[in-house]
Amino acid sequence: MLYVYAFVRGEPSGRLPRGRRGERLRLVACPGGLAVVGDVERPPSPTVAHVRIHDRVVSGLARRFPAILPARFGSLLPGEAALAAALADRAEGISAALDLVEGRAQMTLRLYGRAAPLPAPGEVHPALGSGTRYLRGRMSAWRAATTVPEMAPLRPALAALVVAERVERHRTPPLIATVYHLVERGSAKTYLAAVAAASRDLVDVRARVSGPWAPYAFAPDAAS
Amino acid sequence: MKRRTPPAQEILEDADASLLDVIDNVLNKGVVVTGEVVLGVAKVDLVYLRLSALLCAADRLLERREPPRRAVRVRLRPR
Repeated sequence: MLYVYAFVRGEPSGRLPRGRRGERLRLVACPGGLAVVGDVERPPSPTVAHVRIHDRVVSGLARRFPAILPARFGSLLPGEAALAAALADRAEGISAALDLVEGRAQMTLRLYGRAAPLPAPGEVHPALGSGTRYLRGRMSAWRAATTVPEMAPLRPALAALVVAERVERHRTPPLIATVYHLVERGSAKTYLAAVAAASRDLVDVRARVSGPWAPYAFAPDAAS
Repeated sequence: MKRRTPPAQEILEDADASLLDVIDNVLNKGVVVTGEVVLGVAKVDLVYLRLSALLCAADRLLERREPPRRAVRVRLRPR
């Protein structure tokens, strides 16, 4: 069976690392790019050790390839034909995501403290059809889930560094939101310094940063 | 009588704070190839449900202990 670690583009800068169980990794052409796979006999169990090893392998690949999209832990397929079939209609999405992450890395910013009130949803005119009202409702929900007014003081400092952003708001105080930023490789220290300096202007909010990571949050399915 | 350890402390111990980020990245992000990750899915869902709570608990512990920067260990297998 094939265990999928990541999707990549380009030539590796060195030998591929070994896989989770020490297996040799190989590149398989697939819709949208190349898959880095290992041949294994059974799926991994979700233990801390296995999760860490998966991340270590992905990190090793990220050092060797300019563009990488990690696969989710436990992605196992019967063979190369199944992999090609699973991705048949997703080539464009994977290729576009590889374009986005090329030469870039992920920084993770978590905000803790008191959540700011979110903007109220706009009024929906009663004369609108049910479909329009439904879509407006979906739009309001999406805005509420992806808006982070609490980090407004950080935005000017980060504007020049952040290429793309993914947001998850949380419902477990004091954790307000996790914000994933895509930055150029090599700019992590600048990013950290910018957050540290701008954090002085945060009110009732603390910011914690980790990274650089492989761009896990910028994979095509990662917004779910 | 043996003193009962608070649940958060049973889970959070001194270790590497980045572990929660690793779990968030590896279990909750990344390209889903098959639409269904081949795992004990219920276990992973249960683990992730606890992750944001763990992140909050970790933040409290880190705040109390800083400096130096301390860290977190999570027991991944649900009991």
